Amino acid sequence: MKRTGVFICHCGINIAGTVDVKKVAKELSNHTGVVHSEEYIYMCSDPGQNLIIEAIKENQLDSVVVACCSPTLHETTFRNTVKSAGINPFQCEIANIREQCSWVHKDMEKATEKAIKLTKSAVERVHRNESLDPISIPVTRRALVVGGGIAGIQSALDLANSGYEVILVERSPSIGGHMIQLSETFPTLDCSQCILTPKMVEVSKHPKIKLLTYSEIQDISGYVGNFKVKILKKPTYVDPDKCTLCDECTKVCPVVVPNEFDLGLTGRRAVYMPFPQAIPATYTLDIKSCPGLLPIACGKCADVCEPEAIDYDMKPEIVEEEVGAIIVATGFDLYDKELMAEYGHGKYADVLDGLQFERLCSASGPTTGKILRPSDHKEPKEVVFIQCVGSRDPELHCAYCSKICCMYTAKHAMLYKHHVPDGQAYIFYIDIRSGGKGYEEFVQRAVEEDGALYLRGKVSKIFEDKGKIKVWGVDTLSGKDIEIDADMVVLATAMRPSEGAEELAKKLKIALDKDGFLSEAHPKLRPVESVTPGMFLAGAAQAPKDIPEAVAQASGAAAKAIAILSQERLFHAPTVAKVNVNLCTGCGMCVHVCPYDSLSLKDGKAEVNEVLCEGCGTCSATCLRAAIEVKNLTPLQVNEMIGASLGG
Amino acid sequence: MVSLEDLKKEAKQILKENKVKYIIGYKKSTNGLMPVPAFIKEPEEVEKLVWDPTCVFNLTRYLVDEKRRKTKEKEPDERPVGLVVKGCDSRAINILLQEKFINREDVYLLGVSCENTGVLDEKKLTKKIKGEKVKKVEFDEKDNFIITTQEGKTKIPAKEILANRCLECKANFPVIYDVLLGEKAKRSIDNPFESIEKIESLSTEERWTFWKKQLDKCIRCYACRSVCPMCYCDECVADTISFAVTADTTAEEKAQKIKWVEKSPVSSENFIYHMVRAIHLAGRCIDCGECERACPLDIPLRFLNRKLEKEAKELFGFEAGFDPDQPSLISCFKDEDPEDFIR
Amino acid sequence: MAEEFEPKIVAFLCKWCSSAGSDLAGVSRMEYPYNVVPITVMCSGSISPLYILSAFSRGADGVLVSGCHPGDCHYIKGNFYARRRIALINKLLDFIGLEPQRFQMSWVSAAEGTKYTEIIKDFVKELKPLGPQTKLGRDL
Ligand SMILES: Cc1cc2nc3c(=O)[nH]c(=O)nc-3n(C[C@H](O)[C@H](O)[C@H](O)COP(=O)(O)OP(=O)(O)OC[C@H]3O[C@@H](n4cnc5c(N)ncnc54)[C@H](O)[C@@H]3O)c2cc1C
Ligand code: SF4
Ligand code: SF4
Ligand code: FES
Repeated sequence: MKRTGVFICHCGINIAGTVDVKKVAKELSNHTGVVHSEEYIYMCSDPGQNLIIEAIKENQLDSVVVACCSPTLHETTFRNTVKSAGINPFQCEIANIREQCSWVHKDMEKATEKAIKLTKSAVERVHRNESLDPISIPVTRRALVVGGGIAGIQSALDLANSGYEVILVERSPSIGGHMIQLSETFPTLDCSQCILTPKMVEVSKHPKIKLLTYSEIQDISGYVGNFKVKILKKPTYVDPDKCTLCDECTKVCPVVVPNEFDLGLTGRRAVYMPFPQAIPATYTLDIKSCPGLLPIACGKCADVCEPEAIDYDMKPEIVEEEVGAIIVATGFDLYDKELMAEYGHGKYADVLDGLQFERLCSASGPTTGKILRPSDHKEPKEVVFIQCVGSRDPELHCAYCSKICCMYTAKHAMLYKHHVPDGQAYIFYIDIRSGGKGYEEFVQRAVEEDGALYLRGKVSKIFEDKGKIKVWGVDTLSGKDIEIDADMVVLATAMRPSEGAEELAKKLKIALDKDGFLSEAHPKLRPVESVTPGMFLAGAAQAPKDIPEAVAQASGAAAKAIAILSQERLFHAPTVAKVNVNLCTGCGMCVHVCPYDSLSLKDGKAEVNEVLCEGCGTCSATCLRAAIEVKNLTPLQVNEMIGASLGG
Repeated sequence: MVSLEDLKKEAKQILKENKVKYIIGYKKSTNGLMPVPAFIKEPEEVEKLVWDPTCVFNLTRYLVDEKRRKTKEKEPDERPVGLVVKGCDSRAINILLQEKFINREDVYLLGVSCENTGVLDEKKLTKKIKGEKVKKVEFDEKDNFIITTQEGKTKIPAKEILANRCLECKANFPVIYDVLLGEKAKRSIDNPFESIEKIESLSTEERWTFWKKQLDKCIRCYACRSVCPMCYCDECVADTISFAVTADTTAEEKAQKIKWVEKSPVSSENFIYHMVRAIHLAGRCIDCGECERACPLDIPLRFLNRKLEKEAKELFGFEAGFDPDQPSLISCFKDEDPEDFIR
Repeated sequence: MAEEFEPKIVAFLCKWCSSAGSDLAGVSRMEYPYNVVPITVMCSGSISPLYILSAFSRGADGVLVSGCHPGDCHYIKGNFYARRRIALINKLLDFIGLEPQRFQMSWVSAAEGTKYTEIIKDFVKELKPLGPQTKLGRDL
């Protein structure tokens, strides 16, 4: 039988004003297992806490109930108090007789009766509490970053510069993401490549960063502080150490396929360098477009490669790494062309999406920075920009706002005017969202200085007619029908989660929101954490974002990861599930319900991974055999608490 | 038509080939009306086997004993057990598979189809034939049973002597088997939950009176639990001082056991016991009707399980025993699960 | 005159939403009947049907189960499992003839102090005319 002490707080008159604390103390002193019971004006004050410590020593108490305010306020306080008197902190429970009693009732007699029940309930619970120690987990002090766009680059650099090793995994042959494709960036119009390439180079040179491009995550196991990652490194068939970037191979390669970097506005060979500033600076042989290596169908590139960098026998490689924290920065893709057929995208050469237009504006782009129509290379004199293509359209497309399109469309109109001073830009919009530092001023500049004509309304039809693209729409402000004979149309298509995000999320066991973006743990208070401990989110993978936001979140994610990596060990609440193997029949129902995958079957019995278990107890309510329960709130305890709550 | 000869042939074959360690089927009872389980080890013994609509038992229950025995053996015989299963019995197999209580290779299933009829209710039959000895039971394929006794043949409409569950069974052929005897004839039943709806249509107080009268009879002999193939837990939560307590169990350990239900067969405890049982069988009961058959006091226990079967179907679109790979009823959910009862 | 019947109610509240909601009712000094004695559990998903049966057999006149709104469970999906499990026991209690008013489930968020108060008020009001629950109560 335990020796429990009960301490009832007056909380000034907050409790004592409605609850007869003396009576509670007296009643409880008669309860089985209670060897000491007293009340005091402020239990949480220093003298109050000392009184508990004294009582513990004097009466050799082994457990304590404090009847006071909500446990959210002082549970930790009193657990520390009992600890300082030499009792395990988990031998202290709180009875909430303020928020759940004295503050909501007026009748002294009845409130007192209820306070007695609440306190007895806590006593019954503590009688069966186990002494527990926090679960301690060692930490592998390295991090994994998935996705090498600006967000991933920023996270990797922040982590590396704080002294932690980073493995940066990028799926494509070069890091840089979408930002490297942009021409100039709002709201300052600085050249995207000029500000990004130094960071890319820093990544490649950083002694703490291990860069794995052309690689994908194959499998992840483990838990916070101790993840094991398998990374598939696809063969590039070019040895980067030998390659001298002489470019002889592309001259002989007979294959031409659309160039991803220029979004199909130019072509590339089967062996290629994605773009001149690519990191790592090397060539890649794209096996999908090569006529064949097994058996060798062409072999021309290897023939001309003097340093013999081309190696047709290169094999996929599995790289295994251990890390303590993971940052997912897999970015976005633009909404599919096919889904936007109503706008003629993919059908008419001169209907482009925003990224294609970025390439046209870019000095490194297909037209070396001159804005020319893809169809006939003439300078377009009238360009229609359409916002919200696929966004804010819950019936047919995406319900959400892609957030950045208002800004980059204004930018596009400006850049266009800078390139073609006698041209006219029209912009169809629903409304302009330009929240952000300097953003509203930026949009105003597009209108005032660059004469962009904003038309509020939707486009009803787009079709080609005599070398022009006819755009029909309505100006909802004037109510007038509008018809424009455009030379070029640019669609601000919706941003969506990058291809394969769902599959990756499954491997990582992180949730997706209804639109397929990675879910944060809390929309307001934990915006960079995923629900899985130790995994963090950065950039457009979590929601549409512009560069400053992506960078801010990336640094936030790095800081969160560092909070884990900077520790030698992590501690985890010990109130976790435990299995009674004598009762467990190995049905696996608990395994199926556990939200944290903390259960598994081993030799026909359930087994708890205490590090993953959050102690929710869903397993215990599912088990038909009462074979699994959460420590210190077991069915046995609850059953006794039910009895006490009913005054029995 | 399921031919008994075919069944014997199959049984003999697998025994000869040493494919199974033994076969559990049905044989004539020496004194009772209904056949009893037969445990057949030798090919010669298969002649004992019988199969007709009097084979009511759900033999899957014996797999529980088999498993307990096997875990104790030092060098267990790993061959499967041959088992004769009807439609409902086969669904029980699926549940045992779903709950990993058995593995598929532990059993060799001789599936027999009830082909448009079902099995007979002993009590109903006894009333009809007034204590005579039954020699033969045949189905005329038209809705009547032809019962042959010493006195001769009597024709009795199937409805009047079929077991209650068979009257409501819409899957009267095995859903999992190694060999299938008979046709997979699907039966159309207007409303499989008719009997439940009758009780539902009563007022709250009428329902209470009904159940009070029924459950007050319970003497807590636990026959219902003993015949149920799903009640295979080593220790029943409704009665925690049963199997898992050994001589070494300390008083302290005993104190750690929760008494959700008191042992005494009084009204309140009977209710809690039967409700615990029903809730634990939700999504698992496959309506083989064994509990009701075994009850010496004729408590209509099926209704409790059927009620939850109906709710599982209507609320969650869940049916038990058709897919061993589906997660169990309470270990899954759908976003659109109804919540109109929640404030 | 005989004293008015005061029902005894046990309320199982999840720690993160419903118990926090009842704390908010307290902080906001919203008065409500004292008939309810709350038991705070980690998540509505941990509430076994046996808890509910046990409460009735130990003489509760009413039982309340309350958790976070769907999608808000601190443990992501505990309340979805609870919703299923509790729906079944709710139907069973009704089927055996317990007055449906005696068992209730609610979603109460940490911000819904008012809702919690209203639920308790209504619950007590609905239970009073029924008198004590004797059907499942144990009188050993
Ligand atoms: C037309 C257009 C114009 C824009 N203009 C501006 C502007 O002017 N100013 C501004 O601030 N913002 C602008 N943006 C927004 C800007 O592009 C994004 O904010 C930024 O690129 C987001 O960076 P990110 O790293 O999150 O994603 P991304 O740039 O998409 O990078 C993601 C990276 O992850 C990789 N990846 C994806 N999946 C995997 C996987 N499974 N495994 C490994 N790697 C993977 C991808 O290959 C990619 O390299 C513009 C966007 C568009 C579409
Ligand atoms: S639900 Fe219970 S019996 Fe089934 S595996 Fe889990 S602990 Fe074991
Ligand atoms: S308590 Fe919750 S987190 Fe822990 S094992 Fe059980 S279901 Fe999983
Ligand atoms: S924590 Fe509130 S319902 Fe799960």
